[in-house]
Amino acid sequence: MYSRGVLRSPALHRSPTPGLSVGLIITLAAVVAYSGYITRQISGLRELQNNLVDRNRKDSLQLLRIQNDLNTLALAMRDMLDNDEPYPLTAWSAQFQRVRTDLDDALRREQQVAPVNRTPEQKQYLENSVTQFWDAVDRTFALARDPNQAEARTQIRISLRARQEALSTAVSRLLVQNNESEEQAALRIAEIYDRVQRQVYLFLTATLIAILFTSLYLIRSNRRLFAQLAALSEQRSELAQKLISTQESTLRHISRELHDEFGQILTAVGAMLTRAGSHAPEGSALRSELREVCEITQSALDKVRSLSQALHPVMLEETGLESTLDWYLPVLERQAGIRVFYEKSGEPFPVDGNAAIHVYRVMQEALNNLTRHSGAREAWVRLRFLPQALEVEVEDHGRGFEARATTQGIGLVAMRERAELLGGTVEFLRPAQGGKGTLVRLRVPREKLDLHAA
Amino acid sequence: MNRPAVSLPALNRRSFLWAMAGLASTTTSGLLLDAFAASPSPDPGFRLVDVTGQSGIRFRHNSGAYGGKLLPETLGAGCAFLDYDRDGWQDILLVNGADWPGHKREHKSEPSTLKLYRNNRNGTFSDVTRSAGLDVEMYGMGVAIGDYDNDGYPDILITCVGQNRLFKNTGKGTFIDVTKSSGLGGRQALSSSALWFDFDRDGLLDLFVCNYVKWSSEHDVFCSLDGKHKSYCTPEAYRGETCWLFRNRGNGTFEDVTATSGIFDSSSKSLGVAMLDYDHDGWPDLLVTNDTQPNKLYRNQRNGTFIDIAVDAGIAFSVEGRARAGMGVDVADFDNSGNSGVAITNFDNEMTGLYRLSDSGSYVDVAMQSGVGAASKDKLGFGCVFLDADLDGALDLAVVNGHIDDTVRNVSGVGYAQPPQLFLNSGKGTFVDVAAEIGGGFSQPKVGRGLAYGDFDRDGDLDLLITTNNGPAYLYRNDETAGNRSIRIHLVGTKSNRDAIGAAVKIFHGALNGTTSQSRLVKGGSSYLSQSELPVTFGLGKRDKIDRLVIEWPSGRTEEYKNLAAGRAYECVESKGITPLPGF
Repeated sequence: MYSRGVLRSPALHRSPTPGLSVGLIITLAAVVAYSGYITRQISGLRELQNNLVDRNRKDSLQLLRIQNDLNTLALAMRDMLDNDEPYPLTAWSAQFQRVRTDLDDALRREQQVAPVNRTPEQKQYLENSVTQFWDAVDRTFALARDPNQAEARTQIRISLRARQEALSTAVSRLLVQNNESEEQAALRIAEIYDRVQRQVYLFLTATLIAILFTSLYLIRSNRRLFAQLAALSEQRSELAQKLISTQESTLRHISRELHDEFGQILTAVGAMLTRAGSHAPEGSALRSELREVCEITQSALDKVRSLSQALHPVMLEETGLESTLDWYLPVLERQAGIRVFYEKSGEPFPVDGNAAIHVYRVMQEALNNLTRHSGAREAWVRLRFLPQALEVEVEDHGRGFEARATTQGIGLVAMRERAELLGGTVEFLRPAQGGKGTLVRLRVPREKLDLHAA
Repeated sequence: MNRPAVSLPALNRRSFLWAMAGLASTTTSGLLLDAFAASPSPDPGFRLVDVTGQSGIRFRHNSGAYGGKLLPETLGAGCAFLDYDRDGWQDILLVNGADWPGHKREHKSEPSTLKLYRNNRNGTFSDVTRSAGLDVEMYGMGVAIGDYDNDGYPDILITCVGQNRLFKNTGKGTFIDVTKSSGLGGRQALSSSALWFDFDRDGLLDLFVCNYVKWSSEHDVFCSLDGKHKSYCTPEAYRGETCWLFRNRGNGTFEDVTATSGIFDSSSKSLGVAMLDYDHDGWPDLLVTNDTQPNKLYRNQRNGTFIDIAVDAGIAFSVEGRARAGMGVDVADFDNSGNSGVAITNFDNEMTGLYRLSDSGSYVDVAMQSGVGAASKDKLGFGCVFLDADLDGALDLAVVNGHIDDTVRNVSGVGYAQPPQLFLNSGKGTFVDVAAEIGGGFSQPKVGRGLAYGDFDRDGDLDLLITTNNGPAYLYRNDETAGNRSIRIHLVGTKSNRDAIGAAVKIFHGALNGTTSQSRLVKGGSSYLSQSELPVTFGLGKRDKIDRLVIEWPSGRTEEYKNLAAGRAYECVESKGITPLPGF
């Protein structure tokens, strides 16, 4: 029955480790997967930012610079047409040259940072327009130098301005296009952010669930482990108690046999020897030998009785614990050669049956330990009849538990088991005085005593 | 209300420290006064004394403002130090505006005209405007002094709203208006600063004139801050106007070479101009400051033409790439590197630009690290000059400030009248404004515009002349208290133009304030609408001599003189040698 309950328990075979490992692996995998996902999203964002937004902005800046140059040119042309300066149109050539230098630089830089979605046609158109514009400017200044101021002014009016405006429009369109693609990029970025946000929530939820399940599983398996431990402990205790009671009944049986059978046989042998001796002549050798045998028989009878008493004090069953102690302690003093100070206190109540045996055995074990291991020559035994409990103390001022060998196990275990059997407690303490030695205190509630007395 | 409470612990700590210092020294009385005199900086070594009243200068600028809020009313007028009678004592010229046509003020006893004050050589001046024939009413703006006809007597150009005027010095204490005969007539503009310089190095001074914007009282633009009342417009509201360059033909007439020289730029809104030799080639270059437009650095191409390299030289825009409101400008070797450093005053919140020439040939704005930037953040600067105010061998920077709009207080925190500043150069790249510590009421807020320096009392240090908009002019006498010496050089060109404008003067001396050499350029123009004296002044600290004096004349000739004693002035005539003058 034990073997089934203990060895075949499925919980013992199924350790929680695999389950926990699976939970951990799932969580870690989620973290790794999520990190990968986030990294990819961030690099996507960066790419958008670098390739689109930043590039767009740089390009827009250059386009604005170009636009500014074109505006400057427009203003210059307006001044040229106003004809309110005392200077020929060629005076503006330095101004145009300055703008041209800046415009060329701006266009060159603009080409470098032009957005990827710029079509070759657009590029071509811009390039051609600029070339044509400067070609027209050169022609106009050539006319002005000719000098044909009037025709140059006409050229400015009908051709240059139109070209400048067309260029300006083209640049504006590019700016608008940049703006639009920037807006699109902003939308895409917003989408990425939304997606990432959703994923964050999802990931957090999944991780939380994984953690929750793992925790629940952990709690459950812990609980099971503790239950198993408790069961095991109970089984062990049960086993120990069975062993103890088996031992006790065996001892009682042997003790009875010894007392009853061997005692009667020896008594009969003794009586018969006495009777046979009386038949032998006075002073004869036979008579003295018979007396001798008779004495030996008597001694054997005493020994058998004493052994019987030691194995299982019949007194306990007959007169109870108190009187057994009254008998036992002086015997111990004699046999072990130590002084025992025995104190009784409280209003005595009967302690009988199994309860008496267990209390007695605990005390016996404590005294045995004392005489064997403590090295002390004095012992104090206290029997206290408390209103709610019975308390027995055995105290010595010898070496104490710590100083002794650690392999004394079974005796102490048995004492604990017996205490538990009784529903009481046994404590191993240090005596209050001096702090040296051992104090064994057994305490059994009174109602338990009554329960076990049967 | 919070401030005193907050600063109280700091004050206590400071007063404690000062008290400790006071105990250590012998001063035991007035500990609290010491505690409040929070001037841990050392004595600047000189004082400024307001001698306007005692010198007999009674001038009040008339902007003509009657409520019409016309643009030129905000600009003020300039001033100049000149020795018109060649007596060796600097005289003073103050430019004036005028009432607007149709808005004459009846109560005025006499029309407002420019004023010429002759130096009486005793610290006082006499008003000789009328006798000199200069009591001509015009809306004057700037002034440029130069002996364009090389007769030894400085002539006067007054830039105006409308027609600029050229007054030729007869040498007899009078001037005659030669505007028309010189070929400068028949031009209407809103001109601002101007300068004389010999750009083609033919020994004749040519004329450069800045024009601000296309403006006339008939076509004034309506601007408003509140949508109801007219206020002064910012230059964005107007079209730009080209500057002018007139070549001196040598026969008393000028040729307009604006277009052919490459100066022409119809987008410019110029207020200040300074000459410099940016590339050390002996040919004078020009730096023109523009209001809300990029500044121009016209590099002399040695063939009668100029090319604008301001963008490449890094001086066209602010560090942020914005065109600032360039007002006044001055150029000088303020770090004794031999290169032309630049100061440009700007609008409030734009900071004064202080530029050093880097090894790569581009200008770097060091305003922030030098300490000038932060101190000029809340100022609207106009006139500015580099001068060695404390004669320690490092050029200091004087700036006059003042807003353009008298209602500015309602709009922003900066005042209409603002304190002038005098930044002392530590010689280690940092400047500290000591205006409040040099006395004379110099740091009293003013609506400053023009600024010029000159040694009117011939004591070897440089005095300051300030004009204010629609207000008085101020003459500040410089009194050295630290006992620093100086040396002054008057240059007279023979092959070069007689004023020696464009001559580079370099001196070498024992170690002084971290340098052993200093350089100056003889120049007109600079500052704002104003011109300082032409003699050059070197501060020498406690040194009693200079080892060498090297002069590079505009003609290309180089002269060198050795071992000149400090504490006096010298006259140096091209090819003729050097003569010590009695005193300064």
